[in-house]
Amino acid sequence: MGNRFNLAGQIPLITLIALCVVTALLTPRFLSPLNLTNILVQSSIMAVIAIGMTFVIVGGGFDLSVGSTVALAGCVAAMVMVKFGIAAGVLAGIAAGAAVGLANGLIIAKLGVNPFITTLGTMVLVRGLVYLITAGAPVGDDGMPAAFIAFGSERLLGIHYLVWVPAILLVVLSFVMHMTPYGQRIYATGGNREAAYLSGVPVERIVASTYVWCGGLAGVAGVMLAARLQSGQPTAGEFYELTAIAAVVLGGASLHGGEGTLYKTIIGVFIMIVLGNSLNLLNVDSYWQRVAIGAVIIAAAAADRLRSRR
Amino acid sequence: MVEPTASARGIEKRFGATRALAGVDFDVLPGEVHALVGENGAGKSTLVRILGGMHRPDAGEIAVDGRPCHFNNPHDAIDAGIATIPQELRLVPALSVAENLTLGDPPVRRALGVAVLDHAAMRQQARRALAQLDFAPDPDLRIDRLSFAERQLVAIAKSLRKQCRILILDEPTAALEAREIERLFLVLVRMKSQGTAIIYVSHRLDEVVSLADRCTVLRDGKVAAAYERGSFAVGDLVRAMTGRAEAGISAEAVTPGATLLEDDPIRVRAHEVLGLAGLLGSGISGRLRRLFADPQAAIRDGIGMVPGERRLGLVMGLSVRDNILLPSLDRLSRSGVIDRAAGDRLVARLMEALDIRPRLAGLPVSALSGGNQQKVILAKWLARQVSVLLLDEPTQGVDIGAKVQIHALIREFSRNGGGALVASSDLAEITRLCDSVLAVRQGKVVERIDRDGGYDERRLHAAIGG
Repeated sequence: MGNRFNLAGQIPLITLIALCVVTALLTPRFLSPLNLTNILVQSSIMAVIAIGMTFVIVGGGFDLSVGSTVALAGCVAAMVMVKFGIAAGVLAGIAAGAAVGLANGLIIAKLGVNPFITTLGTMVLVRGLVYLITAGAPVGDDGMPAAFIAFGSERLLGIHYLVWVPAILLVVLSFVMHMTPYGQRIYATGGNREAAYLSGVPVERIVASTYVWCGGLAGVAGVMLAARLQSGQPTAGEFYELTAIAAVVLGGASLHGGEGTLYKTIIGVFIMIVLGNSLNLLNVDSYWQRVAIGAVIIAAAAADRLRSRR
Repeated sequence: MVEPTASARGIEKRFGATRALAGVDFDVLPGEVHALVGENGAGKSTLVRILGGMHRPDAGEIAVDGRPCHFNNPHDAIDAGIATIPQELRLVPALSVAENLTLGDPPVRRALGVAVLDHAAMRQQARRALAQLDFAPDPDLRIDRLSFAERQLVAIAKSLRKQCRILILDEPTAALEAREIERLFLVLVRMKSQGTAIIYVSHRLDEVVSLADRCTVLRDGKVAAAYERGSFAVGDLVRAMTGRAEAGISAEAVTPGATLLEDDPIRVRAHEVLGLAGLLGSGISGRLRRLFADPQAAIRDGIGMVPGERRLGLVMGLSVRDNILLPSLDRLSRSGVIDRAAGDRLVARLMEALDIRPRLAGLPVSALSGGNQQKVILAKWLARQVSVLLLDEPTQGVDIGAKVQIHALIREFSRNGGGALVASSDLAEITRLCDSVLAVRQGKVVERIDRDGGYDERRLHAAIGG
């Protein structure tokens, strides 16, 4: 059992390395410092979303609304920032995301509505709200605070500020998931909600809280994206939910809940971003890129099925 | 000599490193019930799955009516006349009785040159098959409107329609009430008289003794003993299954202590094992669940619950360790962080004390046998140091060896000052385990019987109206 088990656990990492090796062999530009930096920065925002998504999926749920939440948080942050300064803007953006998450969590955990339907609803609803508050136009592109723009483009100790965010979140939240009663209760709830309930786990609160994490972190990602785009874009974040879910599943989390780790989710994010990057470098038609990424999502879900059958 | 309807010779099967069957001979004659018993892991499920075409043997031969057969899948077995009625019935809840019965090859007629379902013929075929079992439900009724026992009869009727002459029943009475069991036995006797060969897998040894014409006992993948009707009793089967005599529990006289839990007329006291006896469906499980309606509050009050279904007691994907510690996480934490070392020590001590095998705390709990899983559920509450244990059918579906161990653990828990409330429809279990018993009929406690007052299975049986 030992060897095969360990090997199966390392499939995401092996896939990522294989993808990098193949791309590096096909095009030397892949390993250029500029391109590698590019991959890191692109991955950073998706990584923050996917970390939140891992909480939800490990807890046995699902969240389609994160893409819209990214746009909401970015626009709210930009609107508030222009008037009240950076700190207020950042807090408002993250709070807007957490509020969407709380709404999802209460509807799903307390009312028992299917997470797929609930978050499909909030995905559309929140996107509508974004267009309403922005009248469909970008926010703040005529003058965001300089320090905020610097956060989106400059480096600390040679590494982009944007990359520091998921790196710190990964360390802190991995600790939360594995070393605290709260984290263990998320795994137990996602693995078997009834058994967790009968063991005294407050399952409704646990489930609701995972959506708050997911929404709040989508809010953080929205603020990061606004810094990078130097504005709040109402169209931002489309399809981010699919990439994030694909990344979590590629990282070996089970869509049935109870299984998955943040570190492997980050590897899943890298697989998605490197795949897109390598198709770009190889000049693959952008329409074909969509086909390829869609196929990867299905393959990841199929792998999830096969795993659970074993 | 009668030719066996089906025979298996020298069957061997390995799963990875585990040798499930090591050369087993087994046959079943027309018009007999041949029971197959053994502890969990003895190989009975593997053997019936091979006969039902769900597994392929590594070695050995299967013959039906003397002709060698090779089954690649369950359809091949059905075509050869072998039908399996599994514990989890494979019926489609949203379809009617008739539709379920004819699922797979429904009668069709042609309308405007197109083949369409012939509902009239479907109903008629369903009625005919069900009539052979003396069962006449409305064929248009949705199957999920029937009780489990009735659905089981539909599944049997389905095999009759396919002209199966060998019927394999896997733990058919596990979810049945006494009255339903009697009805099933009547059906089986009737099928027997029509020449059907029946292979009957069961944990309930008293049933086997009363029903079987022959009984084969498997142990460690081999035939440990084979008996003819009238030549064996429950004790013989236990000895053959475990390789040792049945260890009795001496229920020493105890003086009950302080009242730990009171919900009139139920009163659980320290040093006491109180039984809640009733037929399945008599409401004993519901009574227990009501005492644990708010798990968080109940656990705070020092109450633990061992549910009747193991899937409600365990998170199967998590490790043995994480399952044991789940109710105690807050106690094991220092400023919000779990004290892993303390948790590991606690788990190691409990796995040793409860003899949970294998002794690997990191193993997913799903990899354990039923008896060991049940011990993990007990360990959860011992880790939490509860003072009251509510146990719902605590040994349902576990093998004899584990059953004896679990009974001993419950006695030890009460000896150490705990109070246990055991709901069980297994009167032998109640009599062996409990100091006092409340007999329940239709959700109401009708009688309290104390050990001092001298109770036995027969008196209990009368009290619960079985």
